[in-house]
Amino acid sequence: MKLSLRRKITGGFALLLILVILLGWVTLSLFGSLRTIQRSIFDEAVPGVVAVDEIVRSYTAQSAAIRGYLIVNQERLLEQYRNEVRQAERWQEAAERLFTAERERDLLRRLIEAGESYQSLIDESVIPLATEGRRASAFQTLGGEGAGLISEIEFLGSELRAAQDEVVAETRSDLVTRSNQALAILLLVILGSLFVGSTVAVALPRRLVRNIQRLVDAARAIGRGDFNQQLQIRSGDEVEELARRFGEMQSGLKRLQQLALQDRELEIAASIQRNLLQRTLPTTPGITIVPTQRQANLVGGDWYDVDVADGALTVVVGDASGKGIGAALMATVVLSVLRAERGLGSGPRRVVERANDALREATDHDSFTTLVYLEIRPDGTARWLNMGHPPPFVLRGSIDIDDRRRGYFAEGPRNRALGWFEDPGYDDVRLQLQPGDRLVLFTDGFLEAKSPEGETFGEPRLADAMIELAQLDAASLGDELTAVVERYAAGKLDDDLTMLVVEYLGAPAQVAAEERLPGEEAWHSRR
Amino acid sequence: MAQQKVDIAIEDAQGFKVLRPSGDLDVYTVGSLRDAIGSMIEEKTTAVVVDLDGVPFMDSSGLGALMGGVRRLREAGGDLAIACTREQHLKLFTITGFGDGVSIAPTVEEAAKGFKG
Repeated sequence: MKLSLRRKITGGFALLLILVILLGWVTLSLFGSLRTIQRSIFDEAVPGVVAVDEIVRSYTAQSAAIRGYLIVNQERLLEQYRNEVRQAERWQEAAERLFTAERERDLLRRLIEAGESYQSLIDESVIPLATEGRRASAFQTLGGEGAGLISEIEFLGSELRAAQDEVVAETRSDLVTRSNQALAILLLVILGSLFVGSTVAVALPRRLVRNIQRLVDAARAIGRGDFNQQLQIRSGDEVEELARRFGEMQSGLKRLQQLALQDRELEIAASIQRNLLQRTLPTTPGITIVPTQRQANLVGGDWYDVDVADGALTVVVGDASGKGIGAALMATVVLSVLRAERGLGSGPRRVVERANDALREATDHDSFTTLVYLEIRPDGTARWLNMGHPPPFVLRGSIDIDDRRRGYFAEGPRNRALGWFEDPGYDDVRLQLQPGDRLVLFTDGFLEAKSPEGETFGEPRLADAMIELAQLDAASLGDELTAVVERYAAGKLDDDLTMLVVEYLGAPAQVAAEERLPGEEAWHSRR
Repeated sequence: MAQQKVDIAIEDAQGFKVLRPSGDLDVYTVGSLRDAIGSMIEEKTTAVVVDLDGVPFMDSSGLGALMGGVRRLREAGGDLAIACTREQHLKLFTITGFGDGVSIAPTVEEAAKGFKG
């Protein structure tokens, strides 16, 4: 894998180099064989033929010179004969060097023997006969035995020439064969070089360029915000490595983008939630309301709503399931319905019913909202509908006469969360508040806050904290309880903390005298 | 805000399947449970018991997913029951009213007896 691109290129060029060397070798060997053939023709075969011709010519000349000498008896002709004898000897020596083949050497040997016989005939018979003046006998010996030897010499010379011609012909056909072979090898090498060369020069860069182009395209897609490019490059080299790194970078970017989107979503959710919060709370004589809200890192679905109508104070604390925009929007739906229905003068039951219908209409199976819908009259009569919500906590201004407790969760008829059931139940809880009593409404963030060890804060701890902090005024109680829970969770809260402390200070005398507890019917559908 | 996963083991029982999530069921992990129930319905398994013994913590998102599961399985002609012994979850079921109409029991076998339909 490492540096294999370099290997590919180096390998390609090495292969080319090998082919070029092969080409050179083939060319050299072709030239070498051409030279060998040239040598065998020009250095051996042709001089061989020339030597044979010269030998034959020389003997013919010897014969002519002797015949002339016998006729005219001039010393000059005898001298010419001797000269030709030396010529013949020289050419014979040359021929002995030139002929290497067995048959040729045999023919040459026979030629030389015939030559020697001819000369000894001349030297030992013809010339002594002539010297003795027996020219007719000398003519006879020369014309008989001498002519026989000369024709043998001529015959052997022509045999040798024919043998040399054969050698030349063989060499020629050998030359053709070799040059054909060399041409074929050259052609193969050239074709191979072309193939390898074009592979190295065209195919490799083309594949490389194609893969790089895919990378460029994927990078462009990322530029457009498309993080879903599937890059599958299996080239086994650096480009594949690059593509893999690219994929990792892409998923990193995608992750970053998701985080950015989530942050944006959280911002939107937080802004929706902020808009839901009431900036100013309506006031009613004799009742103090102090809201506290701490938003979690993840925006939760907590909300509250306070309203005054017909002298009664309505306090609603709700919690939409889930987190983020979904929860914030669900809270918006419920709040809109609550406010709209109350504007029409509907009573608590009808308002909550409508909210349930709206949620069932508007949301999926997985979403629900819990809430406590509380109404307090100036005389201290408190009634509420608990729709799947943690029960409010009652903090008595003084030790409770009935159950001797300072504070407790106001359990009571409990209904089901909104958004699930057609009829979640609408049973209410009633409580008569005494001056100094507080009703603390809160969301489940207080109960579900987790310690670093994973243990939830829970109802017992919350109850203990409430009682412990009971001497604080209403304005500080919520803040302090929030601080306690934050400390418990070591600052890591995934859910909102929302708390409303409702303190009943006591009814104005004239109101307290006139007001009486409304009946069940009036509570459920007060129009 | 890492996307966490809760491991969900799936077991075959007599006539139904058991989903055993292990880990917190909260806003981060609830998608896995939702997907698991979704694939049960696709595989035509409509009787499902969710065993919450391996779930130390569950928030409203987890509860919502369970309720969504109940609805979807009932629409598919089946049901979802809960096996749970953890006080904290049982309390959440009671507070929100989830327990009304959904079979919740300490063991898988008992929970399965409460299947509707």
